[in-house]
Amino acid sequence: MTDAVAIRNAQLSFGETAALDGVSLAIPQGTCFGIVGESGSGKTTLMRAILGLQKLDQGEIRILGNPLVHSRAALKQRASFIQPIFQDPAASLSPRSRIRTLMNEVGTVLREPHAVMHERLRVILNRLGLPQSVIDKYPHEISGGQARRVAIARALLMKPSILIADEPTAGLDVSVQGDLLNLLQDIRRSQNITLVVISHNLAIVRLIAENAVVMRAGKVVEGGEVGSLFGSPQDAYTRDLLAAWPSIAAANTKR
Amino acid sequence: MAISLRNLSVDYSLPQGTAHALRGVSLDIQKGELLGLVGESGSGKSTVAFALMGLLANNARVTSGTATIDGKSFDLTKRNATASLRGRGMAMIFQDPMLSLNPVFTIGTQLCEVLRRRAPGSDRKTRVAMAEDALDKVKLGNPRRRMGQYPHELSGGMRQRVVIAMALLSEPALLIADEPTTALDVTVEAQIMREIIGLRDRIGCAVLLITHSLGLVTEYCDRLSVLYAGERLESGTVKEVQRQPGHPYTRMLFDCEVPIDRERHADASENRFTVIAGDLPDPRRRPPGCIFNGRCDVSFEACATVNPDDYPVGKEAQHSARCLRLLTP
Repeated sequence: MTDAVAIRNAQLSFGETAALDGVSLAIPQGTCFGIVGESGSGKTTLMRAILGLQKLDQGEIRILGNPLVHSRAALKQRASFIQPIFQDPAASLSPRSRIRTLMNEVGTVLREPHAVMHERLRVILNRLGLPQSVIDKYPHEISGGQARRVAIARALLMKPSILIADEPTAGLDVSVQGDLLNLLQDIRRSQNITLVVISHNLAIVRLIAENAVVMRAGKVVEGGEVGSLFGSPQDAYTRDLLAAWPSIAAANTKR
Repeated sequence: MAISLRNLSVDYSLPQGTAHALRGVSLDIQKGELLGLVGESGSGKSTVAFALMGLLANNARVTSGTATIDGKSFDLTKRNATASLRGRGMAMIFQDPMLSLNPVFTIGTQLCEVLRRRAPGSDRKTRVAMAEDALDKVKLGNPRRRMGQYPHELSGGMRQRVVIAMALLSEPALLIADEPTTALDVTVEAQIMREIIGLRDRIGCAVLLITHSLGLVTEYCDRLSVLYAGERLESGTVKEVQRQPGHPYTRMLFDCEVPIDRERHADASENRFTVIAGDLPDPRRRPPGCIFNGRCDVSFEACATVNPDDYPVGKEAQHSARCLRLLTP
């Protein structure tokens, strides 16, 4: 089977800084793939490159086997199978239009009859535990957790086969982050979606992803199957990251 | 007893009515001790810090509360009650260090400013030397060069170190750290926490660490207090609370944490996460009975009507929680 996303030797610099410095990776279809690393490691730049929002200086990205083309038509076409959930979902909602307007645009892009699209939306909102009334609200009237769900609902409405989530749990309380993660788990099981999770939260990536890479300063320092990657890290930086993670169990043994 | 806070209640007047952000919160911190104040968004944990520092917003009103710091009592309901302590008796580290640093002054100027208040009468040379020494103590490389730099030239972790150096110079009796590492990476977080502990060891102050991360508290704190919807539900030593949580909310919070070494299902899509179902109660209308009643998994009839007192948990004198289940298990 072709990989959902395949990247070969991606290079990109902003001025002097190499944001991506020879990144290569392959994301198998139907799996969850984690990209972990600290701020400035190039995680989000990589996401933007995969979405075609950022041109590479060098290297190649293939989505479902097809090379990424930078044209308006290609971007529009790509939107039907690869969808992002940005880090700050509230910021990606227009403050001046109701959620309904945002969802209607999906119908326009897909050229789907209004009634059909709204029937699908009803089912999706139900799944995400959002009240149907949410579509009549403005972004400032909903909570951060709800805004994230709205962003997921919009992405799912496009019927993507690949979903890329940038820091999906950032800014959420521990009591609600589990809810969102369970939801992502359900979605990928029931719809066979390839899920790419970009996060600095190693503990979460370790549990939801099959494979992951650790990035630092634009490079992939280590990658592979999550069990062995986190169980017996080979790279010193990966070990540092794991050691720095505040661990409740470690405190138990220490005291 | 170095620091004690008694019966702190704070209201915010909002267009929709009066929100009771804190209701009768009490805390005790010994000298040289690190107390973790844990709570989720909306629990009022930052309001505790702001009320102590006298930094509350204009629409906030302290309706009751006294603080005892180094033997002196302060009536927090009075405006600017603790003004005399700012920069001397109390210091604060904010989540965003950029907010506590003035962008138009160099690091050196701002550190020496602290000393002008802390050590009046000292000459400039001494102050510069002391400031450089402080930067060196918080392991900020090349202190002499840093003195001439502006905040924007430093990274987030470096700025946080500067703020810690500032706190170090002011030698407070109480250091309040409000989410000091939330904006930082894990490796930097560990370093910053080590610096805060180093500062505590050096000047023997009491530290109030305000955080949403139980991981951080269990790793670094001596004691912890759990805040929920403006009320303190449990407090005790980290060890005791972790071994035997007295309040269901505390137990559920611990369950929600995702440890890095949690058992992992071979099929990653099978891994599930724990959630606390339900929502925070409306801060304008406190429901009768236990504040956590609506979301609790072990509640019974009395929980809806009786507001529980603070009951001891286990044998340890300092461990208590506000749950009726402690009376009728």
